[in-house]
Amino acid sequence: MKSIWENYKTDIAYDELMHSEFQPRPVSHGLCQYLNSLKKNDIDKRKMAAELAIMEMGITFTVYSDEGNIDRAWPFDIIPRIIDAREWRIIEKGLKQRLTALNCFISDVYGEQNFIKEGKIPSETINSSKNFRKECVGMKPRHSVWANICGTDLVRDKNGIMYVLEDNLRVPSGVSYMLENRVITKRVFPELLQGINILPIDDYPTQLQDMLSSIAPHHNGKPQIVVLTPGIYNSAYFEHAYLAQQMGAQLVEGSDLVVKQDDCVYMRTVEGLEKVDVIYRRIDDDFLDPEVFRKDSALGVRGLMRAWKAGNVALANAPGAGVADDKVVYAYVPEMIRYYLNEEPILPNVPTYLCSNKDDMAYVLEHLAELVVKPANESGGYGMLVGPHASAKQVEAFRKVIQADPRNYIAQPTLSISTAPTLCKGKLEPRHIDLRPFILQGEKTFVTAGGLTRVALKKGSLVVNSSQGGGSKDTWIINMEGR
Amino acid sequence: MLSRSAERLYWLARYMERTENTAKLVSVHMNLLMDLPKGVEMGWQQLISISGSEQKFYAANKLENERNVTRFLLTDPSYSGSLFSSLSAARENIRTTRELLPDEAWEQVNEMYLFAKNNLDAISNRSSRIAFLNEILRGCQRFTGLLSGYMSHHHPYRFIRLGRNLERADMTSRILDLASLLLSESRSDELRLYETILWMNILTALNALLMYRQHVRSRIKGDDVLNFLLLDKTLPRSISCCLVEISDCLNQLPNHDGLPEKLVELERYVQAIDTHQTTQLQLRGILDDLQNKLGELHQQIAENWFLRMASEQGQGG
Repeated sequence: MKSIWENYKTDIAYDELMHSEFQPRPVSHGLCQYLNSLKKNDIDKRKMAAELAIMEMGITFTVYSDEGNIDRAWPFDIIPRIIDAREWRIIEKGLKQRLTALNCFISDVYGEQNFIKEGKIPSETINSSKNFRKECVGMKPRHSVWANICGTDLVRDKNGIMYVLEDNLRVPSGVSYMLENRVITKRVFPELLQGINILPIDDYPTQLQDMLSSIAPHHNGKPQIVVLTPGIYNSAYFEHAYLAQQMGAQLVEGSDLVVKQDDCVYMRTVEGLEKVDVIYRRIDDDFLDPEVFRKDSALGVRGLMRAWKAGNVALANAPGAGVADDKVVYAYVPEMIRYYLNEEPILPNVPTYLCSNKDDMAYVLEHLAELVVKPANESGGYGMLVGPHASAKQVEAFRKVIQADPRNYIAQPTLSISTAPTLCKGKLEPRHIDLRPFILQGEKTFVTAGGLTRVALKKGSLVVNSSQGGGSKDTWIINMEGR
Repeated sequence: MLSRSAERLYWLARYMERTENTAKLVSVHMNLLMDLPKGVEMGWQQLISISGSEQKFYAANKLENERNVTRFLLTDPSYSGSLFSSLSAARENIRTTRELLPDEAWEQVNEMYLFAKNNLDAISNRSSRIAFLNEILRGCQRFTGLLSGYMSHHHPYRFIRLGRNLERADMTSRILDLASLLLSESRSDELRLYETILWMNILTALNALLMYRQHVRSRIKGDDVLNFLLLDKTLPRSISCCLVEISDCLNQLPNHDGLPEKLVELERYVQAIDTHQTTQLQLRGILDDLQNKLGELHQQIAENWFLRMASEQGQGG
C-alpha cells in the first residue's frame, strides 16, 4: 500500500510539520507517528466523521454570491498545524506589544496627536483615512483601549521568520471556528490528544466576557453584556450566535435596542426595557448609528454614539478604532512600538511600499508583476492583486486602479508563505497557510493559545480567506519541555 | 429576555409540536386503514379535511390517495403545514435563538432537519415511511426531553411550553374533529362495526390509549373517549391539560395583564361541554368555536409580549 506521504514536497516553501518527505520536525513527531499507524481508509473515515460533525453541529459561514446568500459547511482539514510552545511564547509577547502600541496610537490620534506632530506619520495619512472618525476626537474609553478585540494575521516566510501581515481591529472574525476546530479534533482523534501536551483554548469565551466586563461604564458587579449582530444574513452570524451563547450574553439586532432621552441604551424584553452596559458590536462603524454615520443604515441603533459619548455604554471595539486597521498605517506600527513603548518590535512587519510615496510608487509600478498589491481598507481578500499569479492583462488593469487612487494601495513582496500537510483526495499535500491569533485587551491583555490557521485549499494558491475557497485547521501549541 | 427571542422560541416550540403531531397523525392513520376493510367511508381524504387544507391540496392534486396525501402532508415544501415545512421553520427559529438554548437542542433540530432533507424519498413506500416517521417522532421526543432536563425552567422555557401547548390543544381539537365525523348519524352499518377500532386509533394518535384504560376503566365508547380527551386534567394531550399548562406559564410570565382571566374563561367554557348530550353537528360547532378561541389566545399572547417593539417605536430617541 502506498504511503499517504508519497511524493510530499517540502521544497516549495517552509513546511510547518516536515523537514523533508521522510523526516518530521521535532514538534510533529507524535502526530506523524500516529498518522503512519492508521490505515488509509481509516484516515478517510476520520475525514468523513469530521464532515458529518460539521454538518450536525451546523458550523457554517455564508457566502455572498450572485445567486443569493448560501450557507456553506465550514471547510476543515483534519491534519492539525503545530507550533512549539517555546516559539509561541515569543509570538505571544510580540502580539501583546503590538496591540498595546496600536491602542496608544489610536488614543493619540483622537487626543494630542503627538505622533503626527513629531512627524512620525504624515497628517495627510490620518486625515484621508476612511476609518478616521472625527466624531471620536476627545473620547477616552476605559483603560485607554480602543481596540479591545484584535485578530492579527501572521505568515511565515521561507526563511522561517513569522511576519505580521495585518492587524484586524474593526470586527475581526474567526474565533468561533478556532474553538469548534478543536471540538471536532477531539471527536475525530480522541486517542491522539491523549499523549500530547497541547495548550487548551476553550477559555476564550470566559476571557472575552471578563474583558467586556472590565470595560463596563459602571462598576456594578454584573454588567449587562450584549452581542450586536447585523443579523442572520451576515457571513459571520454563526459566530455571533456562538459567542453570545458561550458567554451567556444576549444576541441582539439593532431593532432590539433603543436609546432613550437619558442617553442610555435599552433592550426590548418581555419585561419591558432593560438597560445595556456593554455592546460587543459586530457591525462596522458605518452602520452603527444612522444619526451620525450612514443615514440609510437599518442595522444600527439611532443615538448609539450619543450614549457612548455620554459614557453610558461601552462599545467594543470603540468606534474609530479602525483608523489603525489601515494598511498604510500598518507600515508605521514598528515605529509606534519604538515611540510609545520605547521597545524594539518583537514581530517584524512585511516590507511595505506605500503607493502615496513617490519613490515607492515608482518601484511598485516597475515591479507590479512580482508584488502583492492590496487596497488599504478592504478585508476578506477582496480587491487585491497577486502579481505572480495574475495575467498580464490583470496586471495592466490594476496599474490604472492604483494610479487613480495611490493613497488607498500598498504593495508587498510576494512571500512564499509556509505550508502544512493537508489531506487532499486521500493523500497529504503541502498547502499554504497563515495564522490568526486573537488578542483581547481591556484591563488586562490576553492572547489565544494559537489561533485560527487558515489554509488555501487550492493547489499553489496563496489566498486563505474562507470567502475565496480557503479552509482551516486546528492549531496546536505543544509544550515540548519535560519530555 | 428579548421580545424577539420570546417570539422565536414560542414559534420554535409550535413548529416542533406540529412536526411531531403530523408524524403521529399520518402514522396512526396508516395503521387504522390497514385494519379497516375496503369500502368504508374512511380514507386519506379525512386527513386533508382536518388539517383544513383542502383548497391547497386539490389545487395541486386530483386524487386523495395515499401517495398524494402523504406526500402533501409530509414532504411538500410548498405547503406550509407539511412536516418538512414545519421542521424547516423550527430550524430557522432555533438558528436565531441558539444563544438561549443548550447546544444539544440546536444539534438535535439540525440533525432532524438534515435527516428529513436527505430522506424525503423514503416516504413513498410504507415500510420506509414507517421508519422515517419513527425517526422523526424519536427526534421530537429527544428535543422535548433534553430541554426539560438541560434548561432552567425560566422565561425562555415558559415561552417554549406556551407554544407547545397551544399547538397541542389545536391539534387535539382537530383530531376530535375527525372523531366527530364518526358520530355522524348517517354512518354506515359497516363503519359502526369497526367503531371500537376507530376510537382506539383516535386515542393512540394522542398517546392516550393506555391512560384511557387505566383511568376510565370502561370499554372504549365514543362519548367516554371524547370526554377523556377534552376534560381530563392530567392527560398531557387533553384540551384541559394543555389549558392548565398554558395558564401556569401565563401566570409566571411578567406583564401578563388580563391574560390569566381570559384563560379562566376558556377553561370554564371547555369544562361545560357535555359530550353525552351533544349531537355530532353540535360537537363540530363546539370544536370550531374552540379552535377560534385558541386563535384569539395566540393573538393576545403575541400582542402582549411580541409586538411591544412596534408600540414603543414612537418613544425611541
